Amino acid sequence: MLEILREYGLMLLIGEYPHGKLGGLALTLIISVASLIVTFPCAVMIALARTGQSRIFKALAGGFVHSVRAIPLLMLIFWAYFALPLVIGFPIDATYTLIIAIVIYQAAYLGEIIAAGIEGLPKGQTEAAKALGLGYVPTTFRVILPQALFNVIPGIVNQLTTIIKETSLGSIIAVSELSYVMLQVNSNEVTKPLQIFGILAATYFILCFVLSQATGWLERRIAGKRTGRVVVEAVA
Amino acid sequence: MIEFQGVSKWYGAVKVLKNISAEVEKGTTIVLCGPSGSGKSTLVRTVNRLQPIQEGTIKVGGTDIHARSTNVNTLRTGIGFVFQQFNLFPHLTVVDNVMLPLRRIRGQSRKEALPTALLMLERVGLADKANSLPADISGGQSQRVAIARSMILKPEVLILDEPTSALDPEMVGEVLRLLRQLSSEGITMMCVTHEMGFAREVSDRVWFLKGGELAFDARPDVFFSSDTHPDVRGFLSSIH
Repeated sequence: MLEILREYGLMLLIGEYPHGKLGGLALTLIISVASLIVTFPCAVMIALARTGQSRIFKALAGGFVHSVRAIPLLMLIFWAYFALPLVIGFPIDATYTLIIAIVIYQAAYLGEIIAAGIEGLPKGQTEAAKALGLGYVPTTFRVILPQALFNVIPGIVNQLTTIIKETSLGSIIAVSELSYVMLQVNSNEVTKPLQIFGILAATYFILCFVLSQATGWLERRIAGKRTGRVVVEAVA
Repeated sequence: MIEFQGVSKWYGAVKVLKNISAEVEKGTTIVLCGPSGSGKSTLVRTVNRLQPIQEGTIKVGGTDIHARSTNVNTLRTGIGFVFQQFNLFPHLTVVDNVMLPLRRIRGQSRKEALPTALLMLERVGLADKANSLPADISGGQSQRVAIARSMILKPEVLILDEPTSALDPEMVGEVLRLLRQLSSEGITMMCVTHEMGFAREVSDRVWFLKGGELAFDARPDVFFSSDTHPDVRGFLSSIH
């Protein structure tokens, strides 16, 4: 196992870079974080539509969430890979294809998490904002979202763990992320699948374990502050 | 200042306000009391349209609050509203709570709004708590901050929905003292409360609601006298 790490360690970390495209663990992390960053505003919009007054937006967002949750991510990746270029008329890089698919998929899940954060706030918060004469925009962005998003930080970090695992599906469309790199290593070595996929599993495990521990820690810290002292300067 | 004309409201099939007609004159203080479920809170919450009504009209300062031309947010900036549970925004400091309306409705910068907000906090005796978070102050102080916040846009009407019911007994006094002061300064006030001492001393009229009806509307000397409405007598003896 050490032998494999010695020989392919760098490849596992950064793929063929600098002689080729960046790949491996680095690309996995970049895709994951980029997906989360793009997903976030989409998820906020879905959550606002889901919890808002407009029936049309509510129905649209609800339809989106239920449709996405009823199909596997792999299907979305295929659609983005094969159908999207036909629709937009030009080919796009497989890495972007993967990000697009993950964003669509995760927007539904993260949207539900944020919506739960909004619905979990005491009704009095919205009422107090209304009673002051605040309109929808300041009520949403100054009163509701800062609190709701703070409360769901653990949920958001937890979704990052899920996204990291989902990027492994990129290997099917030849995105040179972690799993794809290790598949290549496996085809070079042929006789050491146990070691190779052992290393792959361990890498995902370490990454996700650390994040899930962080989620637990955040959860405990935030739980004590939810009803009272809430510091959200970073969000507000 | 505030006119109710034939106001009725239903929650589903349950009629919670029954044909209420009454008037609150400018600069007067009305105390609303009655058994729980009698519609007191619902009635005061109709004034700033937190609760819709199905029948009748409500006018504030001569304006029909349900008219098409009435902007609900503008209406609300003219009516301070204080809740039983304070409803301070926990992620904002005391002073940020108080100046939120100045900043987000009047469009003032933090620098412009700060002196007004601090002055208001001084009026409620809490200038030293300006930078505290709501979780770090007592219930009585929270309610005084909530009153300061509701008064920051200088509304002509102040509505209070059981402002002392969620407070520990030793904190009721500080809030009532502030309300007494505001009442004497001539704001039009509607206050739902079980504090009958406050009603007796401060109010100009006491409204007694029962089963969604305005059963009795009298000056406090009559309300608390021996020839009051029989239901009031029963109610008063039940809460003492």
